[in-house]
Amino acid sequence: MIFLTVGTLFPFDRLVRAIDDAVETGVIDQPVFAQIGKTSYTPRNMDFTESLDKLTFDKKVTDAAYIISHAGIGSITIALEQKRPLLVMPRLKRYKEHVNDHQVATAKEFEKLGHILVAYDTSDLPESIRQLKTFIPKERKANPEAVADRIRCFLDSLRD
Amino acid sequence: MDNKHKICLVASAGGHLTQLLKLSDCWKDREVFSVSTLDSAVQKIQEFGRFYIIGECNREHPWQSLRVLKNCIRVIIKERPDVIVSTGAGPACLLCIVGKLLGAKIVWIDSIANVERLSMSGRIIRPLANLILSQWPEVAKKYKSVYYAGNLL
Repeated sequence: MIFLTVGTLFPFDRLVRAIDDAVETGVIDQPVFAQIGKTSYTPRNMDFTESLDKLTFDKKVTDAAYIISHAGIGSITIALEQKRPLLVMPRLKRYKEHVNDHQVATAKEFEKLGHILVAYDTSDLPESIRQLKTFIPKERKANPEAVADRIRCFLDSLRD
Repeated sequence: MDNKHKICLVASAGGHLTQLLKLSDCWKDREVFSVSTLDSAVQKIQEFGRFYIIGECNREHPWQSLRVLKNCIRVIIKERPDVIVSTGAGPACLLCIVGKLLGAKIVWIDSIANVERLSMSGRIIRPLANLILSQWPEVAKKYKSVYYAGNLL
């Protein structure tokens, strides 16, 4: 199963429609479950829901062979933590998919580090979907303890 | 140990909140309450005790921002936090500004999504923040008084 998730803040019809088309044309040859947010496009070739509670969302991620999503940090994080190959397409401001184009920069950086695959436009999707099947994401090392230490240090410096 | 400061944790639902939750160890033995933007966040923040949902807004929808601002004022007046810790985004920035006006210290950890420069919220809050961190060393280097300590994700 492929899990498609686009968050809920803004619509992302462009990706939802492209993945629905990819199922129809056989570019995607397995079932897709999609979390599509508030979109005006109704998928014809995959099961979908507007949003998911945390437990169901986590279950979809662990059940999925691959994940396709917008370039939101929430999606990137969970895919990396659950070691699921992830293909993202960044939201773009010119299609009113976000307030700016920061998802492009985020996607580029995580792509450069070998963590994810990126399709910058729908025309890249067929090739990216093919690559996804053999993609092994590079593990990401985070150090939240170091950030926590810095903040604890600040909090401890506050007296009275 | 003097842990009497009341801490407000605030982040938008989604990736921002995911990042803030990575710091959970910091709040052990401290008085905290949390604030997020959508009901979908409740499952993640209720473990910290009392919480508030202030609604979502962004620069495209000024009217929603007014409603969120009203909620921010209500939360801050009721709780009077000593410190506000945030990973963004816009609504959290509003809460920080209101909190600062009433004397709270601001700790801002810019989202890891901002790989080239601080987020717009981060740039707005920078002059008001008591501690501001970026999760990319290259971004931190671009600004005076912005530091890199590590990355949450």
